[in-house]
Amino acid sequence: MKAIEEVVQLHVPATAEYVDLVRVTLYGIAAKMGFSYEDIEDMKVAVSEACNNAVLHAYNHEAATSSEERRMHIEFVKSPHALSIVVQDNGHNAIALAEAPRTSPLLGKSIEDINSGGLGLYLMQALMDQVEVLSEAGTRVTLTKRLVRSEELA
Amino acid sequence: MNQQDKFHLRTETTEGKCTVYVSGEFDLEVASQMRAAMAPLIELTDRELILNLKDLQYIDSTGIGILVSVLKARHASQASFSVEAIPPTIRKLFDMTGITPFLLRHS
Repeated sequence: MKAIEEVVQLHVPATAEYVDLVRVTLYGIAAKMGFSYEDIEDMKVAVSEACNNAVLHAYNHEAATSSEERRMHIEFVKSPHALSIVVQDNGHNAIALAEAPRTSPLLGKSIEDINSGGLGLYLMQALMDQVEVLSEAGTRVTLTKRLVRSEELA
Repeated sequence: MNQQDKFHLRTETTEGKCTVYVSGEFDLEVASQMRAAMAPLIELTDRELILNLKDLQYIDSTGIGILVSVLKARHASQASFSVEAIPPTIRKLFDMTGITPFLLRHS
């Protein structure tokens, strides 16, 4: 058996106004693949968090004068049993994405001590089956969700 | 984008109580709008501040981060802040992050 991969790409400005377009595209692709409503909701949040990071990198990039440096590239990689979403930005001053925290930064603390830093990264980790972060020239986040069908269609 | 997905905010003030109704998608795009709208309401420490999420379709870590900052500001001035009518998909995220116990009304 040969695994068939199909790729859909989006190349959009790295601004907050485009993150919902990425969500709508994700919804279309994931629904067509047969993901459950709950899984799609999980992916929507995780992908948005990755895009938010790309947008913030672009904002923080002082020398981001060329429009190419202020764009993000999203790849939806469809395989028979999973969907991977790759979010790549060109921010040279990328905020260091540390190892994704396994527990929420808000859990088990008092109001005085809670802090929402790291929340986006935690959510990506908690909502997806696999998260990979690569920081070289820009940051590349790969999010993977396995396709679990309640019934296999003939 | 469907009109219903857009973020809307409406404030209803009654005696001793200020309720903010948010609908649509509460994300990075509307963060500054939401911060600006909440700032004067946070100062009204003689009133209860309530956020109604009945028609909210989506929230991300930016939105949750704003809830955390409102919580902290209200706590510092010993004024109340709570969230009501949380839709199930949003409640799931609140539970995952551990923010739920801080948001529910303590009587």
